[in-house]
Amino acid sequence: MKLFGLRGGVHPEALKHHTERQEIQRMPMPRRLYIPLQQHIGAPAKAEVEVGEKVEKGQLLARSQGMISAPIHAPGSGTIVEIEEHPAAHPSGLPVRTIVIETDVQERIFKNLTDAGDPFDLSTQQIADRVGQAGIVGMGGATFPSAVKLMPNPDNPIHTLIINGSECEPYLTCDDRLMQERPDDVLDGIRLIRHALQAKRAVLAIEDNKQAAFNAMQAAAARSDGVEVIQIPSRYPMGWEKQLVQIITGHELPQGQLPGGIGVCVHNVGTAFAIYRTLRIDEPLISRVVTVSGGAVRNPQNVLVPIGTRVEDLIKFCGGLTETPARLVMGGPMMGQVMPHQQVPIVKGSSGILALTEHEIDDGPERPCIRCGRCVIACPVGLMPLEMGARMRADDVTGTEALGVMDCIGCGCCSYVCPSKIPLVQYFNYAKGELQDRRNTKIKTSKTRQWAQNRTERLQREAEEKAILKAQRAAAKAEKLANKSLQSEPQSEPQPEDLQ
Amino acid sequence: MIRLNPQAGPHVRNPGKVPSLMAMVIIALLPATLFGIYLFGLPALNTVVLCLLSAAFFEALCVWLVKKRITLVLFDGSALLTGLLLALTLPPWAPWWIAVGGSGFAIIVGKHVYGGLGQNPFNPAMLARVALLLSFPLQMTSWVSPAPLFSASTPGFIDALAITFNSAMPLDGFSSATLLGQVKTDLGQGQTLSLIFEGQYNLLFHSLGYTAGSLGETSALLIAAGGIYLIWQGVINWQLPVSMLASVALLAGLFHIIDPELYASPLYHLSSGALMLGAFFILTDPVTSPTTLRGQILFGSGCGLLVFIIRTWGGYPEGVAFAVLLMNGMTPLIDHYLKPRQYGRNRRGQPLPMPAMTPPGEQS
Amino acid sequence: MSTYSQIIRDGLWHNNVVFGQLLALCPLLAVTSTATNGLGMGLASTAVLVGSNLLVSMTRSLISPKVRIPIFVLLIATLVSLVDMTMNAWLHDLHKMLGLFIPLIVTNCAILGRAEAFASRQPVLPSIVDGLMMGIGFTLALVLLGATREILGSGTLFANASLLLGSGFTGLELVLFEDYQGIVLMLLPPGGFLALGFLIVAKRLLDRRFEQRPTNTQANQITVTDLDESSPGGETA
Repeated sequence: MKLFGLRGGVHPEALKHHTERQEIQRMPMPRRLYIPLQQHIGAPAKAEVEVGEKVEKGQLLARSQGMISAPIHAPGSGTIVEIEEHPAAHPSGLPVRTIVIETDVQERIFKNLTDAGDPFDLSTQQIADRVGQAGIVGMGGATFPSAVKLMPNPDNPIHTLIINGSECEPYLTCDDRLMQERPDDVLDGIRLIRHALQAKRAVLAIEDNKQAAFNAMQAAAARSDGVEVIQIPSRYPMGWEKQLVQIITGHELPQGQLPGGIGVCVHNVGTAFAIYRTLRIDEPLISRVVTVSGGAVRNPQNVLVPIGTRVEDLIKFCGGLTETPARLVMGGPMMGQVMPHQQVPIVKGSSGILALTEHEIDDGPERPCIRCGRCVIACPVGLMPLEMGARMRADDVTGTEALGVMDCIGCGCCSYVCPSKIPLVQYFNYAKGELQDRRNTKIKTSKTRQWAQNRTERLQREAEEKAILKAQRAAAKAEKLANKSLQSEPQSEPQPEDLQ
Repeated sequence: MIRLNPQAGPHVRNPGKVPSLMAMVIIALLPATLFGIYLFGLPALNTVVLCLLSAAFFEALCVWLVKKRITLVLFDGSALLTGLLLALTLPPWAPWWIAVGGSGFAIIVGKHVYGGLGQNPFNPAMLARVALLLSFPLQMTSWVSPAPLFSASTPGFIDALAITFNSAMPLDGFSSATLLGQVKTDLGQGQTLSLIFEGQYNLLFHSLGYTAGSLGETSALLIAAGGIYLIWQGVINWQLPVSMLASVALLAGLFHIIDPELYASPLYHLSSGALMLGAFFILTDPVTSPTTLRGQILFGSGCGLLVFIIRTWGGYPEGVAFAVLLMNGMTPLIDHYLKPRQYGRNRRGQPLPMPAMTPPGEQS
Repeated sequence: MSTYSQIIRDGLWHNNVVFGQLLALCPLLAVTSTATNGLGMGLASTAVLVGSNLLVSMTRSLISPKVRIPIFVLLIATLVSLVDMTMNAWLHDLHKMLGLFIPLIVTNCAILGRAEAFASRQPVLPSIVDGLMMGIGFTLALVLLGATREILGSGTLFANASLLLGSGFTGLELVLFEDYQGIVLMLLPPGGFLALGFLIVAKRLLDRRFEQRPTNTQANQITVTDLDESSPGGETA
């Protein structure tokens, strides 16, 4: 298959050897599960259970609120002991509303009454509904509710489904292992998505540093039909949706457009697997494969973890730490978030837990920019990070915006290649947040102004109407008077009533 | 100034740091440097050492004055590189005050006056070279014939010190003209190139560097070898040197075809070590060259054009330093106008038109 | 009294034409290759400045604000022509050296600037003092810069001073370094910019030191009064 050219990007050391040959281990249910109500993009879910209630594995804990939202299910059976604020899986560690389950050993499974049947008989709407009810979100880390992407705009049908098996972040091998160990299940998930979207074509794109996964998936694809498995060059950020679309279809998405706009839909391998589990064995999204790696972990491996397991318990399962890690990262090392401590839970979007040593993160001092231009060449978006960085140092957010910071995808390529270790991507994330704030304020003030203007106009209109009414009344009265005076004897001219 | 989370990602080792980049450039310059020292004897060694030491000293002084961390800045190697580049462009038997004053000018006026590393608009080494050339035209054009180490003609230890520190001018037998200078003078006297080159110009000999000239600029081949090493290591982009060399070669070729008796061949131009040093080591100074690849090609071609113009019609036989400085002044402009195209937008920043839909069936 | 001292201080130091206002850089860089040239140019400019300030101040109530600039220029041009012809007559050699730059005093923005900013709003006497002080300040700057460039560029000081001041001043012509090579760059315009830059740095460093000193002496005084209890209230004034 012909691949189309791309620009930018970097080739960080893959460092996948720690985990790519270890089988996925199933983690036993921990004593307590901490399940945040916000694990996805969009509105947080609303708790449906009370403290003290007994729940079964797979039972609904919290209902989705609105179109862009996802429900949350119990990863294990047990008792709700608390619905309180707990640290979120976020660098700030700020508290977020969390359901805490004290698990029991019984592993009672919540039985849905709906009969699964053959999912290929279901309509697009039915599949989307069931995926939505299972709480499935984008498993690559974006955590966008998947059901929304399964219901395309009828005027703009999807013709190509791309499954993202690139896993371009270093260390992470969870998708890799999933494809190696469960190729038929992943393939079934892909075919189900393709069926739901009625797409003509389905392409599974795997980076060429995952030969075993590619072989397994190709063998699986040969056993059924309709899914092309292709290899793409290993290059970060290959997993960026727009780059995948471009390398496979050759189309560059116009700024502001989503892949759906040109009839392409992108899902992740992990999402395909979750959709397979939901439609085939009726299990909602209550666990996921997490890569536990990094130099400070004793036994790096991939683990099938119940959602809500604390990082602490997960690392203990992997043999604990060999040394105090210099940094604890959730996600991949390029875009992952630094965790403040180990008491944060695994959420639906956690693809990896990395306990990195001092040597691995290589924290050098920040030096002055030497304008080498490596960041310009590396930027997959075509921005000039060094110029934007220089403006951010002068706190010139507006100047940074003029250089296009809002198009920045935060992939971190610029910071990675920077020989002066300037935290460019942090500058840009700050700028984007600041600009978003300003935009919101602007919208708010313009709305307020609009309201104020509307009010003035309305008052004016009312006053005018009143005046007209009054004038009419006065005229009528005058006429009446005139008639009256005509009827009697003519007197002085009737005074027009003062309108003001 | 915004405050940042000190734990800034990405959380992986990155490929190269400023000090290691500078170190690699210095390594790439070593063959040419050592050859220059071999060719011109101990006085050349004195010049190199003086330039390096004084560059480091002035760097430390400036950093101390503005109260930054001396060790962090000094050991990034940029000052040493400036000193070395300056030394390579000096006459090999230059007196000590040329080396020290030049390094001081390069580091203080060429770099720290603007705010230090990364802030200077002009290449410090070239700025110092031009300042020296304008200030001391006599000393800066006193070339010596090769007097290799271990040969009978090489000055001894004491003589070398006298040449460097006592400004003992080279003996008559040693003074010589560079090829470029000789050709320029002879052309000015109305001679034809075939007459000038007869007997005294051998391309291979010339590009190997066994000739009079600046300390490290005689051997075009050794400099080019260092440059190719840098390209191979990914320290510099090939666009800059190639565009400069190509534009010089194209122009020279064009004029050579028009009148071979007046305009020398492209190989004659390319075999000059100063051009090679400029193309591979001066142009590629990241601070003063454009950051985009298209900008670098424009920048390199502009330098090539200026070098050819100055060499052919200008007052000086060699014009690399002037050409580089003039184009350095253009760098902000080039960077402003030759930005890369942003993803999903046209060059003006407007969103691209929607692509025409080609369903996969018809595509293949 | 304090206003005059203010005017003097402004003209010579704080608001110096060159180091404070960064005006008149064109003649400054063009003629300061030697101290003597600087001195001649400075004296000529001073004469024009005093004269123009005097005339402008005298006529300030007669000039309509709408046409003031052309009239100022006319007055200055007249004075410059006078100076030009005078120098041509009595200081012919120096006039040949300064050449074009004497007529160009007309466009010296410092002179127009003083006329506009000071003389057109002030009485005659302060205007004359201002013109004189600004002129002396300008002259000092020119001589300083010229001397710096001359010493570095050719190793002499006040070369050809006898041309300007008469043969009695031949003793002023110094050769500081025998057999000096000379930094040619310092005699060229870039050298002028470099020397000017470093002199401005020096002035700002001095300013910073002056700013710190009064607070120091004040602090000392306070400690002295605190310690010396025998004279209560003696130092409060």
